[in-house]
Amino acid sequence: MNEAVGTNTPSGGGGVSLREVTKRFGSVRALDDVSLYVQPGELLALLGPSGCGKTTLLRAVAGLEVPDTGHVLIGDRDMSEVPVRSRPIGMVFQHYALFPNLTVRQNIAFPLEVRGVPREQARARVEEMLVLVRLDAQADRYPNQISGGQAQRCALGRALAPSPEVLLLDEPLSALDAVVRVRLRDEIRRVQQMVGITALYVTHDQSEAMAIADRVALMNHGRIEQLAPPSELYEEPRTEFAATFVGSRNAVELPVTGGRVRLPGAFDIAAPSGSNGRAICFFRPEDVEIAEEHGPGLAAWLEMKVYLGSTTRLLLRAEHASGELSLHADAPSRRVQGLDEGSRLTFRVDPAHVRAFPVEASA
Amino acid sequence: MSAPPRRAGRIGSSLLFGLLAVYLLLPIIAVLLYSLATVWRARILPDAFTLDHYVRVFNDPRILGAFGRSFLLASIVTCIDILIVVPAAYWARIRNPRITPLLALGAAIPFALPYVVIAFGIDRLIGEFVPSIQNTLAVLIVAQAAIAFPFFYWAVDGSMAAAGIERLSEAAETCGARPRQIVRRIVFPAIRMGVVTGSVLVFAVSFGEFALAQVLVGSAFETLPLWQADAMLQTTGRFNDLAVTTVLSFVLLFLLAVVLVTWNRGQTVRLLPGATTQKEGRA
Amino acid sequence: MWLPAVPLLLLIAVALVLPALSLVIGSVTEDGQLTLDGWVRVLTRRGDQTAILTSLALATVVATIATLVGTPVAWLLSRMLPVGRATWLALLTVGGNFGGIGLAFAYFAVLGTVGMVTLALQSLGVDFLPPRPSSFEGLVLVYLYTNVPLFVLLTMPAMGALRDEWWEAAQVASATRWQFWRRVGIPVLTPFIVAGWLLIFTWSIGIYGLAYALAGAGAATPTQLITLRIGVILKSDVTETWRANVLAVILMGIAIVSLVTYRAILRRGLRWVT
Repeated sequence: MNEAVGTNTPSGGGGVSLREVTKRFGSVRALDDVSLYVQPGELLALLGPSGCGKTTLLRAVAGLEVPDTGHVLIGDRDMSEVPVRSRPIGMVFQHYALFPNLTVRQNIAFPLEVRGVPREQARARVEEMLVLVRLDAQADRYPNQISGGQAQRCALGRALAPSPEVLLLDEPLSALDAVVRVRLRDEIRRVQQMVGITALYVTHDQSEAMAIADRVALMNHGRIEQLAPPSELYEEPRTEFAATFVGSRNAVELPVTGGRVRLPGAFDIAAPSGSNGRAICFFRPEDVEIAEEHGPGLAAWLEMKVYLGSTTRLLLRAEHASGELSLHADAPSRRVQGLDEGSRLTFRVDPAHVRAFPVEASA
Repeated sequence: MSAPPRRAGRIGSSLLFGLLAVYLLLPIIAVLLYSLATVWRARILPDAFTLDHYVRVFNDPRILGAFGRSFLLASIVTCIDILIVVPAAYWARIRNPRITPLLALGAAIPFALPYVVIAFGIDRLIGEFVPSIQNTLAVLIVAQAAIAFPFFYWAVDGSMAAAGIERLSEAAETCGARPRQIVRRIVFPAIRMGVVTGSVLVFAVSFGEFALAQVLVGSAFETLPLWQADAMLQTTGRFNDLAVTTVLSFVLLFLLAVVLVTWNRGQTVRLLPGATTQKEGRA
Repeated sequence: MWLPAVPLLLLIAVALVLPALSLVIGSVTEDGQLTLDGWVRVLTRRGDQTAILTSLALATVVATIATLVGTPVAWLLSRMLPVGRATWLALLTVGGNFGGIGLAFAYFAVLGTVGMVTLALQSLGVDFLPPRPSSFEGLVLVYLYTNVPLFVLLTMPAMGALRDEWWEAAQVASATRWQFWRRVGIPVLTPFIVAGWLLIFTWSIGIYGLAYALAGAGAATPTQLITLRIGVILKSDVTETWRANVLAVILMGIAIVSLVTYRAILRRGLRWVT
């Protein structure tokens, strides 16, 4: 069983619970015995590459996909027999899915109308939503008259209007320009926290997930690889996949000798359990300490400098006992201003920041 | 192509389109003149013009009857197709995609089988099993509804695809809408254009349809095409009347075509059965 | 799960599928026994053979000319601005729908012995003898009137398959216009053009009303067509329905082969552009 279950189900409140959910499409297992608990009021990001099952999981909570086995609970209620339209959910789609024949106001009012909410009450609620997502000026425009960012905000307003227990977001920013994306990302987070609603957020962009989520569920091949707050996922990835997917890292494969893994001059750490002669080590560019040519550390030469603004990324080449190594090191731009390409220097890595995993015996 | 066409190319295409325009308009003009001519002997243009023929036609009960029957028939057939095809097309897209291949195949049949063959088949089938309803109007209505439905189906299905109806339906579901609400408030507005386009096409097909009308019912229910054929083949050629009716039905169809194209605003209508190269769904 | 689609499926089954089956069965049945006699008799009779061959020839010629004329038109139209295109589309839709008896009559008015064009050409000194409406050439001419617009309407959307970026990329790679067409343009568009040809072929071979009006109205022996023969038998000759039956099934067979080929070619063509 997948090890990603969090705390026990509390009583009441809009948490979301998946228990041993499996979903197959033909021979492909989109969800493989997944269990997950989303705490009331938290924003949990489902992160992973295409085909990892994150969208299927979201749609299973919505009811748009029916699991082959397992249960989906919203609050404390089992949703197995509950159709989509009766679930206490609001959903934001990747391509907005705004009804083209209704104005912004009418789109937001739609879920209230179909539930038979009295006119006056509905109108007040719609106004509330328009203010919340900052669309009062565009309220009477049609979807083809507003920008992508505005459309997505309208979709958000529509999803929240009926006061659902859970907010589901399916890659809501993928269809937007880069600048709008960042702005809207923060907007979504602001609204979610203000309203205090439980939210499931699907994305393939790890920086987006890290920026916005309380916890991140990293998925791969229909399973949850790691469920943790962003910082923990970033600092302490539990698997090789997690280490490579989140954050940029340097990787070097080294032999295990005497229970330790050594990059002579650079770092010396205990071998990971289960190593079978070789281990693969990951460390981040910002954890590489560089020093001048005859300083402490492993000798390397600077192949290329990439100026990134406040940081400069250095591409270094070093030789060690097991071969040649290419790595990135990030340093404040001011500090390395005078460094020319071709210069010789040395580097070290704080052993606390090196993550090592055993390498499979077969190539 | 983004490069501006070369001089020769532009002249060539102007020539081509000029000829095309002449080619398309000439028969129509000729018929129009015929309908307005008093006497037209061996000269390029008629000797004199008159509206007498129009007056006579509008007072001829037989012609009016034929016109009326065709109009009535086309209207009924159109209504039937709307009522039958829309639910099927919607259901096939949203609920049960397994229906789609059957519909596609069914839509291919009237295109593959000549109408006269279908007419023959229906007549034979009825003759063998239910001879009592042979030569009734009901049979003709059903038959025309069947051969015209592909046009309607392609138009409606196309508009559903363009609107991304599956995605809209899902969104409406997450908003808590029941199926009937979704259909009424989301689906109908989305397919309005497709329904209009399809209706116009079905009407046109039924109005001008000859083979089924002749074989299945014949002179018992004289539609306009039947009258026209009769008028044409008689030795006492009532050609002027024929010209008038041709002009009138042409005007009718032309108006319908104008409606069609204005609604679509010059977009390429998806007429090629089974294919579209434009991206379906929203950009 | 099927309910809303049932009426339509029922209509298709009863009005289209069953009659087709009935015809097929009827063509191989005589007095309740399975026999290919009918087929043999039809295929060996001169008159029927002529009808079959003429129908095939007519459809082929019409489809070919429609393709040759229609392809550049469809291409140019697909590149036109929506405003101009709308006008042309309206015109073409009209042309495509102006068929049947009215069109036959229009032919007389234009190219008959005292038709407008005939008289115009003769007055210009051209010794022009218009083809008789019931002759092969006459039929081709009239068929083309509906079928050229039909071809254009059917293939124009497919012309959009050729993206501007490809031409731009070709230009950047220093290709000439002709090279682009030869290596990219024509290969990509050809399946759709051929598909259009097949559609027009299928459509033409089944035309009845128009041929009926033309053939019946002209003097001397009208051109023999399968559809006409079927019509004649159905209207006047009860004893020969078996012949009409076989002819109908032959027509069906030709149309089905054509349509299946059409689907196959279309699928191939779409593979490159979707």
